[in-house]
Amino acid sequence: MSETSSKAEAAKLLPFLMLGERADLQAAAAQHVLALTGSGPGRTLLAGQAALLRSLVELAVAPPPAPARDAARALVNLAADPGVHKPLLEAEPGLPVRLLGCVLDPQWPWAEEAAAVLANLSREPVPCAALIEALAAAEPGESGLERLVRALCTPGYNARAPLHYLGPVLSNLSQCPATRAFLLDRNRCVVQRLLPLTQYPDSSVRRGGVVGTLRNCCFEHRHHEWLLGPEVDILPFLLLPLAGPEDFSEEEMERLPVDLQYLPPDKQREPDADIRKMLIETIMLLTATAPGRKQVRDQGAYLILRELHSWEPEPDVQVTCEKLIQVLIGDEPERGLENLLEVQVPEEVERQLQQQDHQEREQQELELDPGPQAEEAAPT
Amino acid sequence: MERQEPDATFDDGMDSFLEKFQSQPYRGGFHESQWEEEFEKIPLFMKNSPSEIDPLENPDLACLQSIIFDEERSPEDQARTYKDEGNDYFKEKDYKKAVISYTEGLKKKCADPDLNAVLYTNRAAAQYYLGNFRSSLNDVTAARKLKPCHLKAIIRGASCHLELKNYVEAVNWCDEGLQIDATEKKLLDLRAKADKLKRTEQRDIRKAKLKEKKKQDQNEALLQAIKVRNIRLVAEAPGEDEDSASESVSELALYGLSSENPCGARLSVDEQGRLSWPVLFLYPEYAQSDLVSAFHEDSRFIDHLMVMFGETPSWDLEQKYCPDNLEVFFEDEDRAELYCVPPSSTLLQVLQHPRYFVKALTPTFLVCVGSSGFCRNYLQGKKVHQVK
Repeated sequence: MSETSSKAEAAKLLPFLMLGERADLQAAAAQHVLALTGSGPGRTLLAGQAALLRSLVELAVAPPPAPARDAARALVNLAADPGVHKPLLEAEPGLPVRLLGCVLDPQWPWAEEAAAVLANLSREPVPCAALIEALAAAEPGESGLERLVRALCTPGYNARAPLHYLGPVLSNLSQCPATRAFLLDRNRCVVQRLLPLTQYPDSSVRRGGVVGTLRNCCFEHRHHEWLLGPEVDILPFLLLPLAGPEDFSEEEMERLPVDLQYLPPDKQREPDADIRKMLIETIMLLTATAPGRKQVRDQGAYLILRELHSWEPEPDVQVTCEKLIQVLIGDEPERGLENLLEVQVPEEVERQLQQQDHQEREQQELELDPGPQAEEAAPT
Repeated sequence: MERQEPDATFDDGMDSFLEKFQSQPYRGGFHESQWEEEFEKIPLFMKNSPSEIDPLENPDLACLQSIIFDEERSPEDQARTYKDEGNDYFKEKDYKKAVISYTEGLKKKCADPDLNAVLYTNRAAAQYYLGNFRSSLNDVTAARKLKPCHLKAIIRGASCHLELKNYVEAVNWCDEGLQIDATEKKLLDLRAKADKLKRTEQRDIRKAKLKEKKKQDQNEALLQAIKVRNIRLVAEAPGEDEDSASESVSELALYGLSSENPCGARLSVDEQGRLSWPVLFLYPEYAQSDLVSAFHEDSRFIDHLMVMFGETPSWDLEQKYCPDNLEVFFEDEDRAELYCVPPSSTLLQVLQHPRYFVKALTPTFLVCVGSSGFCRNYLQGKKVHQVK
C-alpha cells in the first residue's frame, strides 16, 4: 500500500471510532487499530493521525459497551514506541490525567492496561514529567502519589485488575527527585509499605518495579542510615529474595537479620536474573558511605551473598555479586573516599572507565528492556 | 416594674436569730479536737472525694450528687457529666471507677454520636490500662462505628492488637489510621513495632518447625537403626501389642524416643552410627537396681560389671557380689523363661536374641550371684536357657 492510501485507509477508520457510534462498528475499528499498532510502520502511520489518536483515548476511558480494552491495548503498543510519545501527547495532552483516573478507580476493569500505558509513557522524561504534574494536580487531601502507592500496596484494591504495572510506573516516577522525597519522607510511612512487595510471588513486573523504585531511592545517600535503621529496615527485604534454603550453623544464623533466619528448605531465590542484579546494585548503593557499609556488614549480608555467588547461574549477575562481596570484605578506603557517590573522578579516568563499561556491555550483549507490550489482536 | 419592698419580717427574723447567741452557745461550730476531720467533710473544702457517698454520713455531698445526676436533665447533659466523672477517675488512675462512669454515660443512650464515640474510646482506654484488651478492642470498634475517623480509637485499637499479639491486625489498623493522618507519630511507631514483632514471631515459628523436623529425623534414624539390627521392641503392655500392626509399635517407640525415662537417659547414636542404650540392672535378692545411662552396644557386660562392682555395694550384706561371681539373666516374660547371658557378650549380641524384647526402650537384666542359695531358689521351677 502506498503511503497516501494507507493514510486514507486510516482516516476512514476515524468515524467508526467516535463515541456514540454503533458498538459493533467501534469494536471492529478498534481491533483494526490494535492490529496496526503491532508494527513499526503501523504505529508511525497512526502517529500522524491526531484526530484518530484523540478518539482512541476517548474510547480507552469510555464505559461499556465501548471497546475500551482494545483501545487501551492499542495505546499500550503506541506508548511502547518512544517516537510516538510526542504526537500522542500533542494530540491528547490530557492523556496522563485521564488514564491516571482509570488506574486509580477501584471499579475500572481495564486499569491494568491503563497502568501499562502509563508505564510505557513514563520511561521518557517528558511524559514522565507530565504524569508527575497530573499526580500533583489531583484533588486536595490525599496526594496523587499517595493514592498510587496505596493502589500498589493494597491487595484487592481493584477486584478486576491486579495493577502489577503500577510497579514500573512508580519505578519510572522515582527517577524524579520529588517522587523520591515523597517516598523517603520520614514523617510518613511510604517506603516501608513497598518493602514486602520484593517477595510478591505472582508478578515479576510488580517485583521488578518495586525493586527498581528502591534502587532509585538508594541514590539518596543522606537517607541511608535511616533506610538501614529500625524505622525502615530495608536490608532484610533486599537480601530475602537473594537467599536460598541454606543451612547455616547456629552461630551464623544468629548473625543474620530475623527475616533471614531458619528459612524453610523449599525457599526459592528470585527467579528473574535482572531483578537479582537490581537487588545487588541496590545493596551496593547502600555501601557507598562508611556507616552504611558497616551496617550492611553487621547485618550479615556477606553470608547471604557468599551463598548466592556459588549458586548464581548468570555470569553478569555473578560479577555484580563479586563486586559487592569485595566491598564488604575489603579494607576501608582512604580518607576522601568515604562516600563513593561523591568522589570526584578525574576526567581522563572517567573516560577510560566509560570505555571499559561500554566494552563490557558489548561483550555481554545486553538487550534494552523492551517494556510492556500488549498482545496483538489478529486483524479481521 | 415595681420596686419590691424589703421584707420587714425577714430582717426581724435575722436580728432575733443573732440575738439568740447572746445567751445560748453556738452549737454548729467545729469541735476543737477534730476540726480538721469535720473540715474535710464540707464539700467545698474537700481535698479528696470519698469513694462512696453515704447520704447519712455526708448529706451535703449526697445532695450535690443528686443535683448533678438529676434524672430530669437531658440525656446528653447526663452523659456528659458521666464522661467528666469518668475522666476525673481516669486522671486519678482509678480505672475501674472510670469504666463504671463511662458505662453509665453510655447507658443514657443520648443522641450525640460524637459524645458516645468519646465515651466508648475513653472506656476503651481505661480497659486498656486494666489489661482488658479484648474489652478495650470491642469498645473502640463500637466507637469507630459511630465515628469512622476517630483517630484516638484507631490508635487504641492498634495498641490492643499489639498487646494481644495480633500483629497483622495491628499493622492494618495503623495503615487505616495513617490514611486519615499520614504523619501521626504514634501510629508510625506502633506500625514499626508491630511489623518487627510480626517478623520475629514468624522467625520463631520457622525455628520451632525446623527443630521439630530435626528431632523427628533423629528419631526416625534411631528407629531405623533398631530395625536394621533386628531388635524387637515391645510396649509397656506386651499382651495388647501382639495383635496390633508393627506401626503402632514404632509409633510408641517414637514416643518413647521423644520422652526421656525418669532418670533422663535416652537411646542415642554416636558419630560412627553405634547405639548406646540406657540399661537397667535388677538385683532381685536385695530389691536393688542400677541404671547404666549409656551402655554402648559393642561393650561387654563384664566391662560394666567390673566398674559397677569394683567395690561391693552397700546393700551387698554378704559381700558376695563380685564381678566374677555374677550371673546375668534376661526374662522372656511371655513364656516366663530365663536366659543366662555370658558376661563376655556385648549388649548388641543379647539384644539381637530372638527371645529378647526391649521394653520401653530400656533393656533390663537380672543379676545375682550364681552360687548363692538365693539364686538357686530363684531359678527353682523356672526353665533356664544358656545364651551362646
